[in-house]
Amino acid sequence: MTRYLVGRIAQMVVVLWAAFTVSFILLQALPGDAVLIKFSSSDLGLNAEQIAQIRASYGADEPVLLQYLHALGNVITGNFGYSLQAGVPVSDLLLANVPSTLTLASIGFIAAVILAVAIAFLSTLAPFGWLRAGIQSLPSLFISVPTFWLGITLIQIFSFRLKLIPVIGGTDVQSLILPVITLAIPIAAPLAQILVRTIDHVNTQPFVEVVRAKGASSSWVLWRHVAKNATLPALTIAGVLFGELIAGAVVTETVFGRNGIGRLTQEAVSNQDTSVLQAIVVLSAAVYVVVNLVVDLLYPVLDPRLNKKVSVAA
Amino acid sequence: MSHSKIFPPTPLGGRLRGAFAAVAVVALLAGCASTTTEAGSNSSSPVTGGTLVYLEQQAHTNLYPPSGGFYPNGGILNQITDKLTWQDPETLEIKPWIATSWKVNDDNTEYTFTLRDGVTFSDGTPLDAEAVAKNFDTYGLGNAELKQPVSEVINNYDHSEVVDPLTVTFFFKKPSPGFLQGTATIGSGLVSLSTLAHSYDDLGKATNIIGSGPFTVSKETLGTEVDLKARTDYKWAPEPSENQGRSYLDGIKILVTSEDSVRIGSLLSGQGDLIRQVQAYDEAQVEAQSFKVYAEPTRGVNDSVTFRPDNPLVADVKVRRALLKATDSAEIVETLFSKNYPQATSVLAHDAAGYVDLSTELAYDPDESKKLLDEAGWKLGSDGVREKDGEKLSLDIYESLPQPQNKQVLQLLAQQWAKVGVTLNVLAGDAGSRAADIIDPSKTPLTVTEVGRADPDVIKSQFYYANRDGLLLKGGLSATSKFEDTTLNSLLEAETTQTDRDKRLADTSEVQKYLIDQAYNIPLFEEPQVFAGAPYVEGLAFEAVGRPSFYNTWLAKH
Repeated sequence: MTRYLVGRIAQMVVVLWAAFTVSFILLQALPGDAVLIKFSSSDLGLNAEQIAQIRASYGADEPVLLQYLHALGNVITGNFGYSLQAGVPVSDLLLANVPSTLTLASIGFIAAVILAVAIAFLSTLAPFGWLRAGIQSLPSLFISVPTFWLGITLIQIFSFRLKLIPVIGGTDVQSLILPVITLAIPIAAPLAQILVRTIDHVNTQPFVEVVRAKGASSSWVLWRHVAKNATLPALTIAGVLFGELIAGAVVTETVFGRNGIGRLTQEAVSNQDTSVLQAIVVLSAAVYVVVNLVVDLLYPVLDPRLNKKVSVAA
Repeated sequence: MSHSKIFPPTPLGGRLRGAFAAVAVVALLAGCASTTTEAGSNSSSPVTGGTLVYLEQQAHTNLYPPSGGFYPNGGILNQITDKLTWQDPETLEIKPWIATSWKVNDDNTEYTFTLRDGVTFSDGTPLDAEAVAKNFDTYGLGNAELKQPVSEVINNYDHSEVVDPLTVTFFFKKPSPGFLQGTATIGSGLVSLSTLAHSYDDLGKATNIIGSGPFTVSKETLGTEVDLKARTDYKWAPEPSENQGRSYLDGIKILVTSEDSVRIGSLLSGQGDLIRQVQAYDEAQVEAQSFKVYAEPTRGVNDSVTFRPDNPLVADVKVRRALLKATDSAEIVETLFSKNYPQATSVLAHDAAGYVDLSTELAYDPDESKKLLDEAGWKLGSDGVREKDGEKLSLDIYESLPQPQNKQVLQLLAQQWAKVGVTLNVLAGDAGSRAADIIDPSKTPLTVTEVGRADPDVIKSQFYYANRDGLLLKGGLSATSKFEDTTLNSLLEAETTQTDRDKRLADTSEVQKYLIDQAYNIPLFEEPQVFAGAPYVEGLAFEAVGRPSFYNTWLAKH
């Protein structure tokens, strides 16, 4: 087990280094650079000589390999550098944005799971055909709703018209309600879809007939026998979705004026803020690797069949 | 007794009738009461206290004072820093502020300022001649080690001299008549020595900026919120201000709300008090609900397009004149904007220093335009686009995000130019491509232009090769440009070194006439900064280029 973990961690280091290097190469290949964008912007009004002087003090025209080694050295020692666009150390930016994203992502994810499970179970237990069809069409509806429209509509109705939830100010809890709903709905859709399909599939298995023959009710069958088997494929998707949640909540964050990694990434990309982008790439790679590891470790827990080592007959 | 169905003849019915009557009486009284309180609630004397909630469109990027050109930066800097002088936005006159008086030598190469006594920064250190000298040494020469760039408004700066704790002299290599107004601009806010010791990279953190202004930064959440708190021992307001003590407001909450509909909705639903950036098409909505729209002029170079004559497609003055005549700026203003965006009548805004009315030269004349293009040898091709020697007259321009509705403006312009057979391609591009291409005349024969500054130097700043170099002339931002216009250069150099005020304004008029005669610049409209505020926000003021000043602002009872 420890050998397995050590191997995975070594893999993780290689993945992080590769992500860092590839992103560095790609950013260098783009036209222009962060120093040019920042200092030739119209609000500073600098002339050619002044821009050249600034570029020299940033080392912006040094050979690429030297810049790479500087950057790598800095990252290894934990110095992520400064954000040119925001005028603050990158670590400050991450500290301001990561906790907010984590909170929103975790609660949004839990809400999405609850919503998905509710849809899947309700549609399975629904007594009428038309009700089941209706509930099963909800995932398609949810995935088609544009996030920004949903967010703005929720704000218009609940905050501006009904004045139930303040958009400005408000406690931490209040300011999470609407963004969580906005995030949870599109995330719940694929989860619900997968759950519904796998439940239907598991329901056709022979052991389910056996349990029913023994006299179990529909809900007993669902909760005690089908659910565990149906979660495995959903778990795979869930891992991917959580990763998406971390980086992809840009629209929700912009509409609700929240700090977050999604919005930070989008701004850093627009301004080619290299140091911020590299920090985010390394961070995102780390998150993906850790989440994948957790999911891989959870599989045998959920399905004991995966735990057994198949011994080869000599 | 009537047997009413509404109030049945039962004890409950009786109670119901009584309750109904009571409610009716209360409603009537409430109606009367509200009208009397309404009449009496209009107080005209400032109320001390309260926090203003100000919704900004973007987060600030850097609070090094010369970076104050960007409106979110300037909005904060204008509350936390003071300047040597104060410029009256209406008359454009310079009045004393931290400097009580000043002496300028005849050729404007030496400025001596006498400072007010007893001024301190919010960390207790004195705002004396030494601090002022260090501030302007930094803004005038920059600081390469700390990556602090030079301020655009200070040209030809040589050095400073501290004569005594309240007197400082600045020396310039060439006559600099624009310096006095420069000390009143947002880029010349005075900050403490500890602030100047930070690297430019660190000045994005609002809590690092220590000024002497009526407000100080009390809290900051990077990217979303900056809280300002009133400085209770403030007693050095600009000379013309009636209030010379602390501000009326206790604090200001600046929140970043980038989504337009959320920002306006927050104002209209009472969650915010003042917002910046209201698009022309949203103004009606705001005014319909009796909220105030403040459209502040920026008194500088108008929202316009500028040619790069080094590009062979637009090197011929006939082509440029033709495109000037093919532009219908009235249509642009009527279609896309509101009454707050006046049609341009010159390169400079009508309330800018040195403005001259050139509306006859800017008249829309598509027939004359077609004639000029024919004369220049550009013949209409079969697809409706003019061509010459096998090359089509197709021009590229990058949209400029800070300008309002710029993409739509350029698209409408493209439609107008298509009528005379010229194609204008509006490019969006990413910031990197844009920054690299915009200094290359072969890639960008045209660019969008706008600069706000209430001094004749604004026109030199935009068009001189050693400043912003809007035309990409030889010796400027482009390393390859060969186009030189010695007449323009000498006109601009004359303006910026002319010490006689009236002659300087006349020089500025000459520059505008020359720019339009050579059709280097096509002015479109005068760009305002548009704010919207709740009816109970009083005493809101703006400096000459439209940045808000909350020193005299107060919140009426509501």
